[in-house]
Amino acid sequence: MILVPITYTGGVYRHDEVIDYIEDLGGYIVQKHEMAQEIVLQAFIPKDDIGRFTEFAKPLAGEVTESPLVGCEIAVVIPSLEIHHLPHSACDIAEYLRTVGAKTNMVGLARGFGKRISQLNDEERDVINEHDLAIYVLGNFETCIEQKFNGLRRGVNVPIILTGAPPLEALKRISDPPAAGYVGNLGRFMHRTRTEADIGRLDAVVEETARVLKEIRDEIAHDPLSVSPARLKEVIENGIPEIHNVYSPTPVTVQLTGLRIKLPFDRYHDTIRSLPVEEDVTIGDTAWISPSRMRDYILVQIKPFSETHIVV
Amino acid sequence: MTMLDVFEVECFEEVGRDFYKQITETVLSDHNLTAVISKLRIFIDPRLPIFVAVGTIRDAGGAIRISDIGSIQVQGSDTVISIRDETYLAQFLTRLYELFGHDHVDQPDRFTIIISEIPIPAGFEEIEIVNRADTVLRDLIYAMTVIAPEGFKVRRESYGKRQFFYAASENTLPEHVVEDLISAQFALIGEEMA
Repeated sequence: MILVPITYTGGVYRHDEVIDYIEDLGGYIVQKHEMAQEIVLQAFIPKDDIGRFTEFAKPLAGEVTESPLVGCEIAVVIPSLEIHHLPHSACDIAEYLRTVGAKTNMVGLARGFGKRISQLNDEERDVINEHDLAIYVLGNFETCIEQKFNGLRRGVNVPIILTGAPPLEALKRISDPPAAGYVGNLGRFMHRTRTEADIGRLDAVVEETARVLKEIRDEIAHDPLSVSPARLKEVIENGIPEIHNVYSPTPVTVQLTGLRIKLPFDRYHDTIRSLPVEEDVTIGDTAWISPSRMRDYILVQIKPFSETHIVV
Repeated sequence: MTMLDVFEVECFEEVGRDFYKQITETVLSDHNLTAVISKLRIFIDPRLPIFVAVGTIRDAGGAIRISDIGSIQVQGSDTVISIRDETYLAQFLTRLYELFGHDHVDQPDRFTIIISEIPIPAGFEEIEIVNRADTVLRDLIYAMTVIAPEGFKVRRESYGKRQFFYAASENTLPEHVVEDLISAQFALIGEEMA
């Protein structure tokens, strides 16, 4: 069964039926936003059932759209978050990606500014590596990007989308080894993105991100995961009631190949490891559970089929 | 940016130059400085790397007097000041405390100040609270810090009566290199470095 990421937007009225329907189809809710009378659900549903679900949502005035960015966690990396240089274009990029379903985290580097002096420390590198994808929001000069990009990507093994003011071709030319994706015409500018041209730049980032994510998903499909991250999320939510007391917007963040659980590692990792996914198969059998470099969270990385020979 | 007599941004990278031109326009208008600057020239060389801004200012506008901040009404032994423009209220209150003391100055609400049981001096309305010319060059240098590329922490800045310059780099550059660059930039806008 192939699950596809979708966004459902509709009213609060009878939305519990929508949630039930998604679960009956064998889908999973990734995130639920309630805003006054409106509800936005980010979910995975079986590919063959999209038409059926759209039909179901019609009488409730709900809208169903495919959102390739749902179910991934993206790091938006910026050399500095200096107060003098606010507003940063990276803030708008992170916010815009959220509107299309991605979970983004801003990573402002402690000493990322400058050309000769820019550096990436081990904590920043590890935090970036815990994401599915990193978007590097660099500046306006080709000369600087060429020199500093390799320093800022050292040790980062997740796919990187490089953005900057130089045109796309120039970015491609100066990055060696090549990055996973590029978006040009998007450097440092000191205004909020309001005009049509500005929104167009952000749309280009969304498009490129979706393309790179598709490539990653295709690669994962060659050696599928032992269990779907969205399913593990549900197992954790049912098995650990304390997760419902976490006030973070996404207490369990779904990634392409894992989860970030916002509970203290020391107290909960054993419980999580022994939670059953199905009879005789526990989370510990299907995933690596390690402490995250982000606060004291728990990082769950699902093992591929080739490692476990289990698919649940 | 039509108000500037001269406005140039020079850089060998065309894209970067255009972006910095746009950044400069945004920052100067955000900081209300477009009317103040007469000439501005920015030179950026990311290879060195260096950022140099030189320019001159117009008359920064007159002093802000009490009559510009609010209207004054004498009611018996009290004087009531109704505030029209809050921009310089903090400095205005500080000056009132100096003149009359805390016991005689009261601000019952945001837009009202009462000076009680003390006569106000003659020509009170004409007292100067702030002179924008004192702060405008400092504001300008701050605006240049905002415009300059991130990480250019080694700075040299100067402002006189009419001219200002700001140079920044991430490296400590030899003094003569920076001086030569700055005076060359001044020459390009038809000025001689003071």
